[in-house]
Amino acid sequence: MGAAATRHAAVLQGAGFIVSLLLLWELASALGWLRPHSFPPPSRIAQGAWELAVRGFPEGVRVWTHTLVTLRRIFSGFALAMLAAIPLGLLIGRSPTLDALTNPVITFARSVATLSLLPLVIVWFGTGELSKTLLIAYGCFWVMLSNVIAGVKYVDPVLVRAARTMDTPGREIFTHIVLPAALPRIFAGARTALGVGFMVIVGAEMIGTIEGLGALIMEARTFYRTDVTIVGMMLLGVMGVLFALGMEALERRLLPWHRGLSEVRR
Amino acid sequence: MSASAAPKIEVLRVSKQFGDAAAAPVLRDVDLACAENEFVCLLGRSGCGKTTLLNIIAGLVPPTAGEVRVDGEVVTGPGRGKGMVFQQNALFPWLSARGNVEFGARRSGLDKAGAGRVADELLDLVGLRDYGARYPGELSGGMQQRVAIARALALDPQILLMDEPFGALDEITRLDMQAELLRVWSSRRKTVVFVTHSIMEALALGDRIVVMGGGSIAAIHDVGLERPRSRSDPALLRLHDTIWQGLH
Ligand SMILES: Nc1ncnc2c1ncn2[C@@H]1O[C@H](COP(=O)(O)OP(=O)(O)OP(=O)(O)O)[C@@H](O)[C@H]1O
Ligand SMILES: [Mg+2]
Repeated sequence: MGAAATRHAAVLQGAGFIVSLLLLWELASALGWLRPHSFPPPSRIAQGAWELAVRGFPEGVRVWTHTLVTLRRIFSGFALAMLAAIPLGLLIGRSPTLDALTNPVITFARSVATLSLLPLVIVWFGTGELSKTLLIAYGCFWVMLSNVIAGVKYVDPVLVRAARTMDTPGREIFTHIVLPAALPRIFAGARTALGVGFMVIVGAEMIGTIEGLGALIMEARTFYRTDVTIVGMMLLGVMGVLFALGMEALERRLLPWHRGLSEVRR
Repeated sequence: MSASAAPKIEVLRVSKQFGDAAAAPVLRDVDLACAENEFVCLLGRSGCGKTTLLNIIAGLVPPTAGEVRVDGEVVTGPGRGKGMVFQQNALFPWLSARGNVEFGARRSGLDKAGAGRVADELLDLVGLRDYGARYPGELSGGMQQRVAIARALALDPQILLMDEPFGALDEITRLDMQAELLRVWSSRRKTVVFVTHSIMEALALGDRIVVMGGGSIAAIHDVGLERPRSRSDPALLRLHDTIWQGLH
């Protein structure tokens, strides 16, 4: 069997497994083993999804709006974090003094669960868009920052030595050696940060908005619409998967050499 | 090579100690002179300080005491005509094999076109003409080492410091590469310091063999045989025995 055929079979198997689980769930519900209000069966969830797509929940705010608004918030927070963390991380990673100075602060800030800042952020910046963007940016920023710093700091010293034996000037050592060597780590940081963004968004959207998947989940809870909650949850999950795949594709594209390395190591 | 010519490389009472003063020194009062265009082999057991000495000559590691001079000037840093092939893989993983060799050629002052030509020529020399587009991670260990040699040659340094460059190669390729290295060395005339732990390799290559032991130089042997050398030459085998016995 060829590699493509093997993969095909694996996908089919996976799909088959999920379908059987769904059928089992439906059956359990129909037989009364699961209470439909707490554990809505797949058919009920599908109805919820349909309602969300056609009428919206709350009425008029349809699924596309929720999704787009959530995406916009994640992206503005994520972008803000990248813009701040990448230059700062490169700077700190290069300087042992700065690194020692900032290390405790970064560890501290990373340990503070982003959502525990929610009350403070509301007091400082209100319940508008700014607060949501800042919360997401906060979560993404520290993860990204520590990855960029580590990327720069842990460049294999033999690479720097090799460049120095070739009379490479200091500035070029940074741009031609340290930076490319740090890129895989920086990429890993961006991927993790995006994941954090998806986690923080639900909490960030709990206040001051009826738009966004987080708001949808909260609102559905208020009305005891577990089916809608599950739809919102699944949409977040699917989006998360799609973005992870997108980042992977981007990485393969931008760092073709890295893929080769990991395959050799396996 | 006249004996009166000023040495190309002088190692003067070099000692090296890592960590605090209580630690045992890795190198103790090492004195060594290499003439211009000489091929010197550093031979010794694992851990005897060969890499450390090479790093000090390269200017990558400062000696605790003593100094190294190249052309009479004290070495204060790497580069400036001292090319190096590292014991471990030191290729830039984000550059293709050709890109790595080009990097060296560019650093020697060539323009892009010139560097490309040199890279092709050197990849050909190390038998990797068809592998130029591959990333180091897609090459075997021996191939990587050959790219590293090509990269060091691309720099066209007057001094070539090689740290067990053929250690990762199979016996057959190793013998081929030894012959190639001798060819490059005789056509381009470089001063080579070549680290190895193979007595036979040292005998096949070196003008002189510097045997290290216990952090200092235990013996220096003039090989004094015509190249190419036959591995069954009785004189060579006698020297092999002498070196072997000296190591015990
Ligand atoms: N950076 C370092 N810090 C502390 N000790 C070191 C360092 N580098 C080398 N040493 C020690 O110095 C000694 C000599 O090391 P070196 O790498 O020069 O040996 P070598 O002769 O090249 O060995 P091999 O043939 O295994 O490569 C070893 O005992 C090693 O532990
Ligand atoms: Mg060594």
